[in-house]
Parts: sequence; C-alpha cells; structure tokens
Amino acid sequence: MRNLTFVIGCGRLGGAIANYSSAQGDSVIVIDPNPNCSDNLTEVFSGNLLHFDASDVEGLEEAGIENAKEVIITSGDDNLNLFLAHLCSRIYDVPYVYVRFDDPDKGLLCQGASIKAIYPFQLSKDRLNLLRAGVAEGGEE
Amino acid sequence: MKVVIAGGSNEAEFIVGMFSKGNNEVIVINPNAPVVDRIGKRKKIAVYHGEPWRKYCLEEANAFDADVFVSLCPIDTDNYASCIMAKTCFNAKKCICLVSDPLNVDLYKKLGIETVISSPYTLGKIIEEAANVENIVRTISLENDQIKVLEALVLSNYNVCNKTLREIRFPKYCSVAAVFRSPTVLIPNGDTMIEAKDTLLIICAPGDEEKVRSFVQKPADKKVTTVKKSVRGTSKPKKAVPAKETKTTKAKKK
Repeated sequence: MRNLTFVIGCGRLGGAIANYSSAQGDSVIVIDPNPNCSDNLTEVFSGNLLHFDASDVEGLEEAGIENAKEVIITSGDDNLNLFLAHLCSRIYDVPYVYVRFDDPDKGLLCQGASIKAIYPFQLSKDRLNLLRAGVAEGGEE
Repeated sequence: MKVVIAGGSNEAEFIVGMFSKGNNEVIVINPNAPVVDRIGKRKKIAVYHGEPWRKYCLEEANAFDADVFVSLCPIDTDNYASCIMAKTCFNAKKCICLVSDPLNVDLYKKLGIETVISSPYTLGKIIEEAANVENIVRTISLENDQIKVLEALVLSNYNVCNKTLREIRFPKYCSVAAVFRSPTVLIPNGDTMIEAKDTLLIICAPGDEEKVRSFVQKPADKKVTTVKKSVRGTSKPKKAVPAKETKTTKAKKK
C-alpha cells in the first residue's frame, strides 16, 4: 500500500517539512547521509531517519520507495534531485514527487511527468516583486 | 560529425585527440579550470569552461544538434543531468553517459539515455562473453541489446551436423544468417548442409539465446533415443555414439 512520505535531504527545509508532515500524522521516512542532520528534526518528528546517500537505489528500495505516496526531494545537489525525481516518477511510479531546484532551467527537464518543481530563486523574486508593489507585508508570515 | 565532450580529464583529452583529426566539429566543455587549460594548450582547440549540466553553458558553447554528446564527469548524477539536458533542450542525437556505479547502467537506460558505460560493468560483460567461448557459443549484442547474434561452432556429435537447414528446421524465434566454413562465408538457404567445424551466425531476440544454444548443441544421440525408429528408418544415423557435449573442445576464435 502506498502510505509513506519520503523526505530526501534533511537540511533546514527538509527537516521542517519532515516535522510538519509527521505532526500531520503521515508516516515519514527521512533520508540524509549526514549523521548530524537530526539537529533539524524536533520532538514532533516520529518517523524514521535513515543515513545513506539517496543515489543508492538499493537503499531506497530497502526503505520501501515502492510504497511511497509522495516524495519530497530537498537535497542541495540539483543533479541528484533531478535524477531522483525521474527515478521516483518513472521507475517507481510515485504519484506525487516534489523537487527543489536552485537552477530554474532544470524545470524544463521535468515537464509532463508527475513531478512538481519548487524554485527558491523564483519564489524570492516573486516575493520581492510583491513587497515592492506593496501588495504583501514584510516579516514573518 | 558534431561531437560534444563534457567533463572528464585524461579520457576527455584522449577523445578530443581522436575526433579533432577528421572532418568533425568538436566542442569541449569542462568545469575544471586546469583541465580546460591543459586540453586547450595541448590540442590547440577552444575549450569552454563551465558546468555541462547548466543550460546557459551548453548554449554559450553552442552545443546544439550534436550527433554525439559524451558526458565524462566523475559524479554519475552530473552525467545524467548533462545528458538529459543535451537530449531535451539541445536536440542531441545520441548521448553517451559514463557512470562509476554499475547498477546505474540499466537504470539510466530505462530513463532514456541510449548508451551508458561503466568500467566494472563492461569488464563483467567481457568476462561473461569469455566464459561463453568455453561453451562454444559466443553472444554479441546489437542495437542496445535488442538483437542477439550467436556464434556457434558445430561439433560432429550435434544433431544439426550433416543435415541441410531444411531437415534441421530451425525454430521460428531464430534465423541462421551466415555459415562460416573456413575460409569462406556461406549465405545459407534450405539446401545448405551444415558440417562439423562450421560456425553458425544465428540471430535471435534477447532472452532466446539459451533456447537457441540448447537447440544447436543438442547431441544427435538424444534424437535417436527418443524417436528411434523414424530416424533410423528415414535417414541413416551418423555416428550414433552416445557422446556427451564436449565443452572442452577448443572454440573457434575470431
């Protein structure tokens, strides 16, 4: 049964997403090779934290990637993110794949798939434009 | 031919040397500044300094419509991203991707890269093929493993020996393309007699190699025991010695 939420990369973004999903009641599996990454997880997190490189496909299979209902890819390496997004979407047929790209051009390579891309660059730019136009408030949301 | 060589160090330099001689347009993109300097100086060729997985780098290096795009970076996913970028946005006709993890070979092929090369994988395949020579059948793959060509040496105790192709009735899933009888090559028809020491070139689909191999290597005596009367009655039995497959017989080498 597809009931797992995978978060690949447990930096500040990945950690925050894992905490939130876990608090919402999802079964969360976090993958990050860095042994210190658990600093980014809080006490609300109740899922599994696995330390290995996500490009290791056998490791992903052992973690149960076939049972993933969604995969959120937040590692800092765009090329790894692109590969993982294609892998999850096309080989493991994960219905929802969300991926973070620093380079907005990478979005051209994910069209037509079940992959949704997030670009911090684009978001910052849009936010700046909104702030400049006086449509949005600054500070914490 | 337009060749784009992305990343790599010594191997990139070697391939640049190979292709810059003929009537080829060679574009070299490398993210490593010392390598850029070295290749540029030694090969007297313009080398673009940049990361080949970035769209703007490929644009600035004019990597459009390459006949062959080769990615030789040390990290597998970098090569993957470069090849996918070249295919999707730059209309590269054929991509060749180097990987260090042999498990990635089949995976990257499934994800759409035609040619994926890994040294341990290639080494394993060569060992596998060398092991097949022992079994008197050598297998060659064409068109990305879509077609298999088997090279089978006929021994005198095989069922197929001293029969015409019409008599043998090869199964439908394979076809005998040529018969090599030193020093000539015969293009066979139904009347071609298969003799001992002939080498058959048989074409089949992947997955059928084993069936073809066991069909060719079926010893003659098996048939004699199963349909004794009919065989003895219709055609004269040749050397119906119950000889087992002799795997030690020397294989014909090319």
